[in-house]
Amino acid sequence: MMAFSEDHIALAAEYILGTLDAEERGQAEAIMLADKDFAAMVETWERRFGALNEMVGAVEPPQQVWEKIKAAIADAEPQASLPPEPPEIAQPAAALRPEAAPEIRDGGNIIVFTQQLKRWRNLASGAMALAAALLALIVLQAWRPELLPGALRPEVRTQVALEKPAAPSTSAAAPQYVAVLQKDGGAPAFILTVDGATRNFTVRKVGAGPEPGKSFELWLISDKLPRPRSLGVIGGTEFTARPALAAYDPEVVTNATYAVTVEQAGGSPDGLPHSAPVFSGKLIEAVPSTSR
Amino acid sequence: MLTPSELVWLIAAVAKGDQTAFERLYEATRAKLFGVVLRILRRQDLAEEVIQEAYVRIWNGAAQFNPALSSPITWMVSVARNRAIDVVRKRSEASIEEEPSAMEVAADSPDPLARREMTEDLKRLLECIGRLEPDRQKLILLAYYNGWSREQLAAKFETPVNTIKTWLRRGMMEIRECLGL
Repeated sequence: MMAFSEDHIALAAEYILGTLDAEERGQAEAIMLADKDFAAMVETWERRFGALNEMVGAVEPPQQVWEKIKAAIADAEPQASLPPEPPEIAQPAAALRPEAAPEIRDGGNIIVFTQQLKRWRNLASGAMALAAALLALIVLQAWRPELLPGALRPEVRTQVALEKPAAPSTSAAAPQYVAVLQKDGGAPAFILTVDGATRNFTVRKVGAGPEPGKSFELWLISDKLPRPRSLGVIGGTEFTARPALAAYDPEVVTNATYAVTVEQAGGSPDGLPHSAPVFSGKLIEAVPSTSR
Repeated sequence: MLTPSELVWLIAAVAKGDQTAFERLYEATRAKLFGVVLRILRRQDLAEEVIQEAYVRIWNGAAQFNPALSSPITWMVSVARNRAIDVVRKRSEASIEEEPSAMEVAADSPDPLARREMTEDLKRLLECIGRLEPDRQKLILLAYYNGWSREQLAAKFETPVNTIKTWLRRGMMEIRECLGL
């Protein structure tokens, strides 16, 4: 176990105690995703304090709870199915109307995708709260390509942004971007990071379940492009690193929505998405690290 | 209640998509999880929602459960409790004053003294909590059992939020030292 600062220990402790506010909780969860040692520390606290629950009396939940759980897991199984309606759509209904149908190809999947897209754009902005929490994370550089499995793990240099906002970066440091790809504000499925200078990207699979016989494919969706562009199959291993974004204009890259679909094994055969996005998110600029 | 090893076995089956095992797991654990979240949420409807979500997460996350790191019931309770805390934190941001009555109901400190058989883990933890000053003991237990925010604790203890923050932090650090973490 590596040595953590007292701030980290306190963050883990107050996380399991439950006294952090919503933003701090998001922050702690983001650090847990990026730093296994921190996650292990949280689990230790959780286990120790879990003993207190022995004292909590059991209360039977009503029967319909199980019915709903059963229905939910039956729905959840095929992840390729349409995502659930987003809880709030803060845009005029007209924007969702399929009248201005784009090109009809491939059994209408494109149309579905385009409609979904509008909603997903809204969703992506809803994800910003969590994404903002990830600002604290980039300092870790935990998902930078040089830290791919096999590379030596660096000294832990997690910074708790609350206490210690990241130091002003040197002018030489290129901006780093990060997007949390998630479903409907749920747990992050993938974390996408983009190096501002090279536009190389890395995708780390964090919460996406397995899709037997299928592949996850990453897409770039931009107002400036007529259709989603494939960035290739991801998620086959924990990390996927690729230079595929280098071909795009930096402005397109930083403003795009990134979405993941479920495709046949090996990816879409025709360069077009065949499911609605199951996870999506937008990049935010993260603090470049100056610590190395 | 099933034994921990039976629960581990069930979770392993659930990870492979075994719905019958999932139903048995639910039956064995639902009342404990519901008790924990109801204590925090204090509203039947919210507690039902949270418990549903928690079991869906358990279904989806069963493969990530590591019996070497955690006990099955601790893991499952944590999933549910974390969801409950998320919900109360998000609600309290909208309006902290919304439900003063909820605080009254909860103002009695939890009842850790219904001493039945306590596990060694619990005895050890209570011993460490017991070394804190009485107010701090109460603070930690109210936070854990009732899911109270710092603001709610500040109101209860008639103390500024920043002081509560310091107390919580120091209290947890002392407990850590006592436990040898």
